Amino acid sequence: MALRVSSIPSLPRVNSGIARMLPIATTVAAVLLAVLPVRIPGYATLTPAFALMAVYHWTIYRPDLLPPAGLFVVGFAEDLLTGGPVGVNALLLLLARAAVLRQRRHFIINRTFPFVWSGFTLLTITAMFGLWTLHCLLQLSLSGFRAAVFRTVLTIAIFPAASFVLGRTQRALMGAG
Amino acid sequence: MYRSPTQLRATIQRAAPLLLVLLAAVIIVLGRADERMFAPLRIALADDAGPVLGALSRPLVLAATAVDRVRGVVEMYQDNLRLESDNARLLQWQQAALRLAEQNRELRQLLRVVPNPALSYVTARVIADSGGGYVRTALIDAGSKEGLARGQAVIAGQGLVGRLTEVGERAARVLLITDLNSRIPVIVDGAPAAAVLAGDNSERPRLIYAVPPDRIKIGERVVTSGEGGLFPPDLPVGVVSALDPEGARVEPFVGLSQLGYVMVVNYGLARDLPQPVPASAGHRRHARPTALAAAVR
Repeated sequence: MALRVSSIPSLPRVNSGIARMLPIATTVAAVLLAVLPVRIPGYATLTPAFALMAVYHWTIYRPDLLPPAGLFVVGFAEDLLTGGPVGVNALLLLLARAAVLRQRRHFIINRTFPFVWSGFTLLTITAMFGLWTLHCLLQLSLSGFRAAVFRTVLTIAIFPAASFVLGRTQRALMGAG
Repeated sequence: MYRSPTQLRATIQRAAPLLLVLLAAVIIVLGRADERMFAPLRIALADDAGPVLGALSRPLVLAATAVDRVRGVVEMYQDNLRLESDNARLLQWQQAALRLAEQNRELRQLLRVVPNPALSYVTARVIADSGGGYVRTALIDAGSKEGLARGQAVIAGQGLVGRLTEVGERAARVLLITDLNSRIPVIVDGAPAAAVLAGDNSERPRLIYAVPPDRIKIGERVVTSGEGGLFPPDLPVGVVSALDPEGARVEPFVGLSQLGYVMVVNYGLARDLPQPVPASAGHRRHARPTALAAAVR
């Protein structure tokens, strides 16, 4: 047990205020990006889960700067903005964080992108299926499965681009971390 | 049991994720039990985020306009051919419409029909959509300051978009006709049949409770019936595009996923729209004489 804990290197300290705000700020930006009206037919249904990408990225690389309380507030605000059932996104982001945090040591050992991407694929499939199940329970209706599948595929497909942007921003503001 | 402040802080930090997950679960249950519980918070946030979202969505509108313009130039020749043939056809329709308008006016005079004019129009820009969630709503950048109120009809170009469900000072939420919770009394013009247009979060809402049920055909126009007093009658909604076993599908006239600007119409019908009462309060809705019913009487 002690060996496993010590195999995780401690995170470098970030002193700059802006850099410390980066994980939460990018998660907020991801939420805004999702709710902005893009005029592509059918896009509103299939908007990728941008916030999930940000949470995944920061939980792997800087979990210390993405506190659960902050995630809760961001998820809650997203629910209020989209007009959907309140609390659903807050729950989703918190559970995603907890799930990634449990598996984090694997990502410390293996940092290759295909590995990180497959981790995200697993997380997204679980999260989207869970979201769909919760929606069915809340609305007592079995609709929207096809849209959920397409949304999952789109989210997984866009992740490399999001990961690139987040990684670049992280390196620019925090240095190699 | 005594605990030092550091120990206490460590305990709180360790318990925080679990507590927050529980809190989120409690909020979901509460929000489900009482739909209006978080409405004031929603409106307040929409009001505050409105200007930010408005500013951020402006480039998207500009980009869409630019794309439309480029497409317009590329397809100019074909468009011109189409428009010329359309024009010839529409001139014939114009004659027919003028004749019918005159006839309609005479018949209305004979029957002493009370007209049902719109009181005011407000044009607003869509600043946010539901972002992949399991709802179909849109935020617009106008609110009670512009005279908007809950229940007013929202239209765009050729047809009905939805109605206002939440109205803040500077922003309002539109429940689109495709949302799972949208139910609108309509008439299928050709049949003629009365039905309820029910959204199911897909692009094409269904017709349910059709009376008579088997007379609806593909290609027929669907308009609001004005029943229930929420919408005025005869607002165009869409055309019947498919006949499923569970109900006919309606293709809306308006591309609901590509809304840029919309128009909120105040017909003076939504004035005394009752607030929804939670199911536990015993009664769900007051029966009230609608403006429409009054006009018929």
